[in-house]
Amino acid sequence: MTHLHVDELDRIELDDGFEWRPVRRRFGIRAFGVNAYAPGATGRIVEEHTESTLGHQEIYLVLRGRARFTVDGNEHDLGPGELVFVRLPSLRRGAVALTDDAVVLALGGKPGSPHEPSAWEAMFAAVPAAREGRWADAIRMHEEALVEQPGSAPLLYNLACMESRGGRPLDALLHLTRAIALDPKWAEYAAKDTDFDPIRAEPGFPA
Amino acid sequence: MNEGYRVLSLDDLERLKSTDGTLTLLPLRRTIGFRPFGVNAWLGEHAGDQVIERHREQDGDEELYVVVRGCATFTLGEETFAATAGTLVHAPPGTLREAIAAEDDTLVLAIGAKPGKAWEPAPWEDFYVAFAHRAAGRVDEGRALVVDTLTRHPGTWQGPFNAACFEALEGNDDAAFEYLRAAFDRAPALIGKYASDDHDLHRLQADPRWRELFG
Repeated sequence: MTHLHVDELDRIELDDGFEWRPVRRRFGIRAFGVNAYAPGATGRIVEEHTESTLGHQEIYLVLRGRARFTVDGNEHDLGPGELVFVRLPSLRRGAVALTDDAVVLALGGKPGSPHEPSAWEAMFAAVPAAREGRWADAIRMHEEALVEQPGSAPLLYNLACMESRGGRPLDALLHLTRAIALDPKWAEYAAKDTDFDPIRAEPGFPA
Repeated sequence: MNEGYRVLSLDDLERLKSTDGTLTLLPLRRTIGFRPFGVNAWLGEHAGDQVIERHREQDGDEELYVVVRGCATFTLGEETFAATAGTLVHAPPGTLREAIAAEDDTLVLAIGAKPGKAWEPAPWEDFYVAFAHRAAGRVDEGRALVVDTLTRHPGTWQGPFNAACFEALEGNDDAAFEYLRAAFDRAPALIGKYASDDHDLHRLQADPRWRELFG
């Protein structure tokens, strides 16, 4: 498929209450980050976050409807054709929809670096499968993403979550251990994460 | 004003006509200083106007076009289709692409970069703006941008070739031939054909220096 309307994209409602409509994954775009968002049950349309970890600059363009953006504590009500460019990755940003039909296009990347698909895309894409208990599908999506980003600790950690809940304790232990070796902070998360309850008593559980 | 972010409307951007008047660029990337990849908007003021020029990205850029408002008739490879507001069009590298406004005031966002490569601002953006300044009577501003762009992108044939076009349009034939010679030295196999086909340079073809250069 070379063209489609933003309303024909997959719609994945995430736990934070907004709807992710994957553009980059749908077209297989490799050169830049691009996704669309619509309001979910809570009316949120862009999650509150910073880009400090990835170092991305981002543009949020309102394609339809109206949305209230909060950037670095300042509110801006924007309509179609209006945008926010967030140059500093450390600034906290987010948006709520002011109209039900709102759609925001988000563009992002790290200056001076070739674009790499963000690990969160595979994790978001696996949410419907995980929600429905289709663990094999959720695990496959993570494994496919890890082929391209074998050193991604968040992907390894999330894969371990899926494997733990999907009845693959040895794989879960292996991938959780690798995630923690890459970044020890994942041990703290694992200690409180109920996804690991099925394997917490296993010998060698690393947290 | 917070220096860490900026809010604007695409309609706040300058509307820059191409030299032949067929295209209207709204230079988003350059205006806001976005650095990760290329992103600009193109406007078809009237139905029938060219919004995206007919071209292929032979250097390997993949592009996504987003119809922000209005409606455009896109050609992508062998396919032609109507793209209303909210339509996303993906053009892999090398694919022929073109868009014509099917409604007045059709606005299309164009996003592009090469997969696997760190993006660098392409000189065409600056040359496009320089030529638009010239067309608007701001010749000195346009020329300063041409010289600045040549300094920032040394070694290419496209730089001096564009500079030759700029000076030819301004009637500065000596400078135009100096730039043409520099372009020819860098890509002798290409420049003869491009120069012969370029409308900006047609007037120079009667000059004896043209034959000296291209035979």
